[in-house]
Amino acid sequence: MSNLKPADYITVAMARLINDGERVFHGVASPMPAIAIQLAKKLHAKNAVYVSIAGGVDAVPTDYSSVSTADASLAEGALAPFTLADIFDLSARGALDVAFLSGAQIDGAGRLNLSAIGSFEKPKVRLPGGAGSAALLPTVKRGILWKTTHDKRALVDKLDVVTASGNTEFVVTPLAIFKKSEQDNQLKLYSLLPTAKIEDVIENTGFPIEKHQEFHEFPRVTDEEIQYLEEIDPKGVRYSEFS
Amino acid sequence: MTKQKTLQEAVASIQDGSLLALGGNALHRSPLSFVRELVRQGKKELSVIKTAGALDIDLLALAKSIRSVYAGYIGFEMLGLAQNYRKGVQNEEIIVHEHACASVIAGLRASIYGVPFQPINGFQGSELPELTGLVRNVTCPFTNKETAVVEALRPDITVIHVSIADEKGNAYIDGAAFEDLIMVKAAARVIITAEKIIDSTEWKVTPQVPGFLVETVVLAEKGAAPGSCGSLYSIDEDEVTRYLQDPESYLEKVKGVASHV
Repeated sequence: MSNLKPADYITVAMARLINDGERVFHGVASPMPAIAIQLAKKLHAKNAVYVSIAGGVDAVPTDYSSVSTADASLAEGALAPFTLADIFDLSARGALDVAFLSGAQIDGAGRLNLSAIGSFEKPKVRLPGGAGSAALLPTVKRGILWKTTHDKRALVDKLDVVTASGNTEFVVTPLAIFKKSEQDNQLKLYSLLPTAKIEDVIENTGFPIEKHQEFHEFPRVTDEEIQYLEEIDPKGVRYSEFS
Repeated sequence: MTKQKTLQEAVASIQDGSLLALGGNALHRSPLSFVRELVRQGKKELSVIKTAGALDIDLLALAKSIRSVYAGYIGFEMLGLAQNYRKGVQNEEIIVHEHACASVIAGLRASIYGVPFQPINGFQGSELPELTGLVRNVTCPFTNKETAVVEALRPDITVIHVSIADEKGNAYIDGAAFEDLIMVKAAARVIITAEKIIDSTEWKVTPQVPGFLVETVVLAEKGAAPGSCGSLYSIDEDEVTRYLQDPESYLEKVKGVASHV
């Protein structure tokens, strides 16, 4: 247990947020979601449907690229083809359940910025762009966001640019899991990841921290979860965002 | 009559200022031999349509060959930002027409359907429509509901890289097709680069691209390297890393090497 790293906790946390039978998507640069989906499908969500940029349905990859999650390895074992355009259409008509997305900045309303630091017109740093998020986040049933860093630059009071807004339900970071409150549409503290203290979260978050009404202790990572994690990702590609 | 030309001939047919759509996604099956030849021939003021771009856009940015980009994402995924693209934008040399990948597809579809714009469900709460002007709202004449629309994206030329093509332009994509077939149908002209060119009587798989839509076919072995090409080859991580560490040297090498076909 003690040698588990943030990437292990984040991956396990994301896997647990996937419900059985849901249609689940991740995009580019998303190694932890890609592995979390396989983990969920081994455990409590055997009937989850996995779609990705690689273009196949329900792939069971035996290898992961440490540089790309649009890689052909993520179509391995898939039967029917289902293209990225098909996935966007699925979300647009309200038939995609979960999209894993991220942002350089995430605000207290679960909105994200992947466009620019500074102004959009004269950026201090031009970012990659929101990829599918501006179309997916408002149309997918549940957006699950993650960050590999938890500080006031990542979790901000105010985004420099609002790239995407919408149905963010959870945000997972190395310190905490936030869940959006139905009362005020703001992210509230849902769980602390092991080793994190609430003071760390308050100190390192740009928006005010309140506990969600469903706040609970993060359930211990089980031996079964660790075993499957190692089996799915023996090379440790889940750590590749933490170099 | 064969549609096959050399890479130099095909690229020579591209005018400065053209609007190109490039196939593939991120570091996968992008027509990089074609891009390198664009750089060698010193093309200028290009505009490029991609859903997700990486080395293609970054190299064109480094070579100062592009004026604007229509895309959802430009980056090297887990390997980091596209630094030359980033600098080009920050120095106001490159205009970012920031789309979502889905709205690039919607704009291309408008061209396929022969209509001026395409309704799209998305962008609610995003500042991108206001910042870019690429997504606007109209009132549906049937329901009176507000709906977002995207202007047609009509590439002057779509360039895709495939596994196999024949002399008539029929082409087979091994693995994920990404948005390539949409880009092919949306374009005024289509150029295909291929790992292998066979005779049209020799097909053993079914080509997805019908030859009548294709103007030119080019033999380009390793034409998507150092990116991947279906099951034929994976990303050459060492070569991509070398590029990211020292893009100028990579550019000099590209300019110094005469294209081999």
